[in-house]
Amino acid sequence: MSDGFKLPPLEVEQFTLNNGLRVVLNRNSSVPVVAVAVYYDVGSRNEREGRTGFAHLFEHMMFQGSANVPKAGHFQFIMKAGGTMNGTTSSERTNYFETMPADQLPLALWLESDRMRSLAVTQENLDNQREAVKEEKRLRYDNQPYGQIFDMIAAMIYKNFANAHSTIGSMEDLDDASVEDVQEFFRVYYAPNNAVIVLSGAFETETAKELIEKYFGDIPSQPVPASIDVAEPPEVANNYQQWHDPLAPLPAFLLGWKIPRRRSPEFNALYLAGKLLYDGDSSRLYQKLVKGEESVVQLFGFTDERRGPSSIYVGAIPKPGQDLSRIREVIMQEIGDIGENGPKVDEIEKLHNQLINDTVRMRQSSMNRAQSIAEYALYDGDPTLINSDLDELLAVTPKQIRNTVSEFLNTENRSLLDVVAAGKG
Amino acid sequence: MVEIQKTPPEPLAPIPFNIAEPVRETLPNGLRVVLVEEDRVPLVSYRLAFFRGDAHDPKGAVGLTSATASMLTEGTEKYSSRELAERVERLGAGISSNASDDFTTFSASTLSIYADEILALMAEILFRPTFPESELDLYKRNALENLKYQRSQPNFLASEQSARLIYGHHPYSVVSPKEGDYERLDRESLVKYHDSAYVPNNAVLIVVGDVERSELMSQVGELFGDWPSHEFTLPKDEPIPARDDRTLTIVDRPGSAQANIVLSNIAIPRNHPDHFATTVMNQVLGAGASSRVFMNLREEKGYTYGAYTRIDAKKQAGDFEATAEVRTSVTGDSLKEFFYELNRIRDEKVRPEELADAKSFLTGVFPIRAETQDGLAGLVANQVMYGLPDDYLQTYRENIDAVTLEDVQRVANAYIHPERLAMVIVGDADAILPQAKEYAEDIEVFDAEGKKK
Repeated sequence: MSDGFKLPPLEVEQFTLNNGLRVVLNRNSSVPVVAVAVYYDVGSRNEREGRTGFAHLFEHMMFQGSANVPKAGHFQFIMKAGGTMNGTTSSERTNYFETMPADQLPLALWLESDRMRSLAVTQENLDNQREAVKEEKRLRYDNQPYGQIFDMIAAMIYKNFANAHSTIGSMEDLDDASVEDVQEFFRVYYAPNNAVIVLSGAFETETAKELIEKYFGDIPSQPVPASIDVAEPPEVANNYQQWHDPLAPLPAFLLGWKIPRRRSPEFNALYLAGKLLYDGDSSRLYQKLVKGEESVVQLFGFTDERRGPSSIYVGAIPKPGQDLSRIREVIMQEIGDIGENGPKVDEIEKLHNQLINDTVRMRQSSMNRAQSIAEYALYDGDPTLINSDLDELLAVTPKQIRNTVSEFLNTENRSLLDVVAAGKG
Repeated sequence: MVEIQKTPPEPLAPIPFNIAEPVRETLPNGLRVVLVEEDRVPLVSYRLAFFRGDAHDPKGAVGLTSATASMLTEGTEKYSSRELAERVERLGAGISSNASDDFTTFSASTLSIYADEILALMAEILFRPTFPESELDLYKRNALENLKYQRSQPNFLASEQSARLIYGHHPYSVVSPKEGDYERLDRESLVKYHDSAYVPNNAVLIVVGDVERSELMSQVGELFGDWPSHEFTLPKDEPIPARDDRTLTIVDRPGSAQANIVLSNIAIPRNHPDHFATTVMNQVLGAGASSRVFMNLREEKGYTYGAYTRIDAKKQAGDFEATAEVRTSVTGDSLKEFFYELNRIRDEKVRPEELADAKSFLTGVFPIRAETQDGLAGLVANQVMYGLPDDYLQTYRENIDAVTLEDVQRVANAYIHPERLAMVIVGDADAILPQAKEYAEDIEVFDAEGKKK
């Protein structure tokens, strides 16, 4: 039924400024809104030992003012103009983005260019933001039930330090960050030739080009940062670990596998297998464990897509008194079944419709388009993949899913993190 | 040397945003249909909404409206719960059903190529649900597990007390059903409630998306035209108690590192003419991260990760709230700053720049909220369900722009009452009491189970 359903391609234009800044324009004037996304090619993968948490700490520094924008002024300017904004850090990149009424495009570009050109890296700002990051670490990780398990299992799966350490970093490393370190980090990684800027929404192409040239054109480029090695052996670093979570009200577990890089044929097949296993009320594990045996309170699964070796996870919080190993057996049985028999015809039809539906939904929002295009531009060097990636996923065959699940998931080469409830709950 | 621009640039010429005008029709059985034809993307959103929510639970049956709504999609005469999930997801679509305080909403969204199939499936679910015993059992057991989890969350404990203090015996005082309420639910009461409450003459079908009006109306006529209307009664609105004094209620969590502060008083229902002025006032005072309360308690004093004020406006009534989670040792200092800000916005006019900034934020984000189909459907549903004027969305930005400095001060005085606040603090009572007791003569302490100490 979904055969022949063709999405109109998005309008994508790309060019590079003389200083190396890559620019992508996606014009779509259906709503008078424009999204601006600036992606810097730096994430926790670039951090070395003793310097964890730097990329994320730096994200905070980017809101502390620059030559012509006062401390916390970025945020105030955006709000007053009727816009929304944020920044995030992952293993792969640090991104900054705002959605604005279309007429406020110059403001967004001026703000982004001012901090790319002249960030205020001072001791006072650094001390202040270091404390803010520590509070964030306490609030979101250390002080939450199950808050640390995803960082823990990444360290069990990956052997290479670049992949294995957390984005939030350690308190000790954060304490060691000096102003000189941060200034050097800014010079190396926040150069125009290490970034991509994407505009998506309502604008005139010529006006946008002029504004980008005006605000970003004269920011000096820097030597290209040293390349990094994220290679991994196929085996996981550690098969089993137990963690006494002082805040967890119930025991839980998390299974993780090391899988090939994002957009590889194997990754795509496993991404689809994951959807069949844990995505939605009709998924195999939801029907088995939440509905059928009624043994779990919560079931979750996701893929962590990276430019290098990536990972896939399935976890559960069982109901009180349940046998956790029995639940894991059910999960492995379903994986074994897909590895042996492949997906059913109905399941393939479901996958195709869900993929089309997800893509159409994503395309509605100028910010989602801008972010997706920025990833293709930064990771793959080709923003037009936004128009062909769906077809690549739709072309994955049941046989590919079967073989890939058999090779990468139906194996003892996986990590199990067992969470013991040490909480009072 | 290149000249670098020192000051923020001027905006470009503004682009007008014309939000689509819905088409409104009514079937002979009383079912209203509101349609926004919108073909930017090949998607359709359906929302069948009833003017009947948790606040209309029958006497002695707290939780029945929500349970009936949630169980609606768990099986029909033709399909089991699992078959329904499979049919919907095989089309890449989504269906859900739930109740809020004022409304029950049964909704679906889909690629437009499957719009007809999904609407037909909605009719099957609406008219022939079976409410299987086994699914209801699972619902009840999960709800009881969830209730235990909620009792470990300070936010839940704070809203439970605030709602009780503000709304008295009005059903808005119920933040969640209790254990006994869940245990009392049975299949028969759901079936009876479905028969009496799901009537076309108390419902609106809101459709937004890539559909054609005459085709939609003929399908709606076929599927929903024979749905019989019948008389229904809603429980009488309960009065909301008057409060004369400020009170302090502490929920004791010994050893808690933070104090969750909620200060509240009754304000206005959603369709009140002062809604726009109150929204602008709240934007200046505490709605966002550039508002006064945030700038004071977080940015200047560093007492908290976030401090906000909120206007919670429902169909029958609404309230004003000021909230923050602060380090226990600065509970008293935080209260002092809250009272300073609540009094200041009443006693002095806000600065013209503050008013202008609040307005440009509210009018600027409006098109962003309407960018996705779900966002637009949500805006249309609010207009229809709260009984706001038909041109509410078209005139929203004009109405925000018309608010004056005088309006802001007037509504601050009318709807913020520092002398009659219900002060609720969740945290370590021994540490909090000495810091907070000067603010009220009437003081009570509860434990985390909701029992008075």
